Amino acid sequence: MFRAVTTVDAALRALDELGPGAQVIAGGTDVMIQRMTGSLSKSEPLVHIGRISEMRGVSLGSESITIGALSTHRDIRTDPILAAHLPSFVQASSTVGGWQTQEVGTIGGNVCNASPAADLGAPLLMAQATLVLVSSGGERRLQAADFFLGRRQTALEFGELLTAIEVPIPAPGSWETYIKIGRRSAMEVAIVGLAARFVVDGAVSAARLAFCSVAPRPMRVPDAEVSLVGTMLEDEAIAAAGRLCASAVSPIDDQRATASYRTSVVPRLVRQAAEACRSELV
Amino acid sequence: MTAIGARSPRSDAEAKVRGLANYGVDYSETGMLHARLLRSPAAAGRITRLDVEVAGRMPGVYAVATAAEAPPHRSGLILMDTPFFADDVVRYEGEPIAMVVAESERLADDAVSSIVLEIEESTPVSDVGQALAPGAVLVHPDLETYQSVPGAAPWPRSGNAGGILTSDPEGVDGAFAAADVVVEDVYVVPRQYQAYLEPKSATASYDGHRWTIHVSHQFPHNVRTRVAQALGVELSRVRVVGEHIGGAFGARLDLGLEQFAALGASMTGRTVKLVNNRSEDLISCMSRENATIRVRSGVMKDGRIVARDFECLMDGGAYAGDTPYLTSIALLMAGSVYRVDTARVVAKSVYTNTAPTGAFRGVSGTYICFAIERHMDQLAHAIGMDRREFRLLNLFESGDAMLNGQVLDDADILSEAFDRVEEVAPWAETGTGMLRGVGIASAIWLTNPLAGSATVTLHEDGHIGVSTAATENGSGAVAMGVRQIAAGEFDVAAEDVFITLPDTDSQAYDAGSQGSRTTHVVGMAVHNAATQMKTRLFDIASGLLNLLPEDLELRGGNVCMRGDASVSVPLAEVAGAALRSGGPLSATGSYSVPLPKWDPDAADGLLFPAFPVPTYHVHLAEVEVDPVDGRVRVTRYVVAQEVGRMINPDGVYGQIQGGVAQGVGYALWEGLENVEGRYTRRTLESYGLPLAVDIPDVEMIVLEHPHEAGPFGAKGVAEPPIVPVAAAIANAVADATGANIVRLPIDPEQVLNALDMRDS
Amino acid sequence: MQLEFTLNGMVRRLDVEPDETLLDVVRERLGLTGTKEGCDEGECGACTVLIDDRPVDSCIYPALAVEGLAVRTVEALSAPDGALSHLQRAFVDRAAVQCGFCTPGLLMTLTALLESNQNPSSSEVDDAIAGNICRCTGYSAIREAVRRAVEEVSA
Repeated sequence: MFRAVTTVDAALRALDELGPGAQVIAGGTDVMIQRMTGSLSKSEPLVHIGRISEMRGVSLGSESITIGALSTHRDIRTDPILAAHLPSFVQASSTVGGWQTQEVGTIGGNVCNASPAADLGAPLLMAQATLVLVSSGGERRLQAADFFLGRRQTALEFGELLTAIEVPIPAPGSWETYIKIGRRSAMEVAIVGLAARFVVDGAVSAARLAFCSVAPRPMRVPDAEVSLVGTMLEDEAIAAAGRLCASAVSPIDDQRATASYRTSVVPRLVRQAAEACRSELV
Repeated sequence: MTAIGARSPRSDAEAKVRGLANYGVDYSETGMLHARLLRSPAAAGRITRLDVEVAGRMPGVYAVATAAEAPPHRSGLILMDTPFFADDVVRYEGEPIAMVVAESERLADDAVSSIVLEIEESTPVSDVGQALAPGAVLVHPDLETYQSVPGAAPWPRSGNAGGILTSDPEGVDGAFAAADVVVEDVYVVPRQYQAYLEPKSATASYDGHRWTIHVSHQFPHNVRTRVAQALGVELSRVRVVGEHIGGAFGARLDLGLEQFAALGASMTGRTVKLVNNRSEDLISCMSRENATIRVRSGVMKDGRIVARDFECLMDGGAYAGDTPYLTSIALLMAGSVYRVDTARVVAKSVYTNTAPTGAFRGVSGTYICFAIERHMDQLAHAIGMDRREFRLLNLFESGDAMLNGQVLDDADILSEAFDRVEEVAPWAETGTGMLRGVGIASAIWLTNPLAGSATVTLHEDGHIGVSTAATENGSGAVAMGVRQIAAGEFDVAAEDVFITLPDTDSQAYDAGSQGSRTTHVVGMAVHNAATQMKTRLFDIASGLLNLLPEDLELRGGNVCMRGDASVSVPLAEVAGAALRSGGPLSATGSYSVPLPKWDPDAADGLLFPAFPVPTYHVHLAEVEVDPVDGRVRVTRYVVAQEVGRMINPDGVYGQIQGGVAQGVGYALWEGLENVEGRYTRRTLESYGLPLAVDIPDVEMIVLEHPHEAGPFGAKGVAEPPIVPVAAAIANAVADATGANIVRLPIDPEQVLNALDMRDS
Repeated sequence: MQLEFTLNGMVRRLDVEPDETLLDVVRERLGLTGTKEGCDEGECGACTVLIDDRPVDSCIYPALAVEGLAVRTVEALSAPDGALSHLQRAFVDRAAVQCGFCTPGLLMTLTALLESNQNPSSSEVDDAIAGNICRCTGYSAIREAVRRAVEEVSA
């Protein structure tokens, strides 16, 4: 069964009606493959939300930026608000698949699919985004840190729809990036991804480091972040933060890379990000 | 002869850009049924239960076939070791066990899922070391009872070794003892999947006596031979019709799915189509074999290489395929390009419980070149000599002989190729700077000599038709090469020549698009046909022009008086006149390349004895290594390749660029590894094919030394550009990092470890 | 379920299953085999079609999601009189076609690129076709064909 809806209300009614087996599909770039390969059951109904226009687009508020869950990677990649305030989101979406995937794949899908390697997971966590979850019973808001529960596990409940992602506008003096490691220059599932932000006011007043693909869910490394506060991103400070990150991650061996490679790349990524920031801001 | 050397578009380009070219997967017939295979989920074991009853009773299911329904004998390309379906034993993951023929692919899929299969799994023989260890489990305990195909020369095989080549001349150990320095290296390479974009398929029908098979295949006549062999019928009961080919690279030389479609057709009396999905295509494909190569050389301080020990262990997988042939390449490359006074060579193709391996562009030459050229760098380091200088010092010259005794009378071309590369990319100035490096590698490669034929017809409008079973696998060898050679023979425009697709019923034998043979061999067949036809053509024209035949020549679509084009008659008119004077102008020509002289005593098990019509190659790679993630970026790539004569420059450039791209993939990303006999990468997504963002434009230097026999001097072009690529890149990475790169692909982890080691 | 959409300018109405992909509908039901299936997983781009002018991998796109939208395939690239598009012509003339199995998908992606960017840089071209794998050409001739098409259009 394929139920196409064009409003949030209709989507929620469909989910309530079809019950817990219903699968929400937007761009389909993950759901269709999972149904073909048997990771998702083909006999369960599909609720197609791809045309709910109220769930697409980026808007700038006074304190936060709202990204509709159906904003595609292409939308994000080319959005001037995000380019100005949240470049790590732009960079992350630019690395998801090829153009074809970016045209239909959505930030909401990337997040709800909750692959440990999901590129957008890292910037969401880093930017302390809030996820807006709506059901027929009302709305609840969850911090990204509380949304990702594990490998392909989220706090999303049956009947709930992720409609939007709200991201606080970064403080003045913020610098951020998303760096992805893959074997080739494109079309890669992240071997490791790092979303980093440094708020610099003379010295570093705040730092955030969030990784994907090094644990069952995206993770921050608070110790390392704290260790950078008050520094000028000196080489030793970067190295120390890198070491803390390396000891915090718990990657696995898979067909793309070994755990030890992932661990050895982590501090190098921290250094690349911090050095890039230093050369611009410090 | 305007057609020779012209950048004419390929004859099939327009159909392809319009989406009108029909490939094997596009072929369909009314009332066609669809088949699916049940493939073994286990790498090794014994089938304890195979129950197809439920599947057979499902609505829309026309037939279910297992070993019980299939011919009982084994078949094979050279050794008949392969059962039609696995009977009681499974030998690799993906081995066909049963087939369902149904009204739709979906129904066939559902029926396959309902088959009850139980396998008592055993520990697979998953690598060559395990296979050759004393007391190893034998993949084929009955190997000694297997027959080779009729006409095959005998070759040694035993245990898990399906093919063994040995060359052990006297005096090797003595030469080592006299050497100043001895260096030994061991190199390990993975499988490489051809990853043609069109998955394999076959569509077969049966008329009660004969089978017709439509397929995209490099070698239709081999399909005929092998399907007939598998079914146990005379080969003329099988007709193979070639469709457009969506990439092949060697993977469509032996049987794919054709025998199964044929069986389905004769079981149901209906046309049956069978298509691989991508994952089963990857898992079951005869990829380039993984191998371990040990090279030990003795050198003198002055740079001479006085002794070599070369051992190449190739993983042939569960069934031999063509791998016993490929052991010969070790002998043909272990002492070529660079002089080696004496060498011992052993190569084995080894059975394991993995998918059978087979031909992929450049076959074992890619990794043998990698091993030898890496080793050359190591030797140069060991005696403190510049790597390029060391190569030039030992470089073959005309008159030098390979280890098979074959004398190369044009090997001076190698030195020319090194010089030309030096002109565009001076060794001393390339690859300099932090984390940058340069590598150079060289190869000699063959033009496959096997037989072919072509029928050339002069039609009544003056156009030339060429009918040949030679296949256009995408390289342009037919759509550019053969077509322009035919145009050149008659001095018409390439656009005035059309070429039919292969059909084994109406065209004589052709050995398929392999080993760069098509332009040269089929071009010669066209030349022979044209030569034959021209006798009658000039004869008829001489009547029309009142001139002697020997005073005539072909020019711009006309037969003219030699030296005076104003006295002429159009080809169209001659073709028309021929109908009233003995019948249409048509002739068939055949050709096979005479083998060069070699020493039959050079080795035992030498099934593939020589390199006919050799060509010469030098590649230079410049790389940059990323210190953050260890990724290698190819920043510059230069190729000097000798081609005899360019029939179409775009064809030559396209093969060089494309071959290099596949070589870059082999060097940096691609590779199938198995754990307990199961591939770890099972989709194109995880496999890692080269992308536009990672492949540079190759700088090409084309050297032309026309071949005396023709056609118009052309030699083989398409296969060799992949051969030296991994070698050149590995040498560049070694130069950039200071590490001895001994393993492909050169993944970021290997590079990062090398950098860590250097810095610690 | 009923599906109505525009395919190459013609309105099509047909019944499709929920899991049928757009590729299945185009190739199997409507018989346009110019669009190719290479990987069934959105990796190789051989199945690229344009949905409302945007390139999409049709092998993983649900057919029912194109309800009311306009789909273009390779068969629609030439002019009504049959003349090849500038890009198709350049692919022919610059030898950007070898086996040709990736060609329809590449042409669709690059058509979308040239419709939205009349003079793409070399890296924009490479980036645009990162999701279109060509195993034969090594991409160089494809880059050259795009340059040629750009010149032809601006000439």
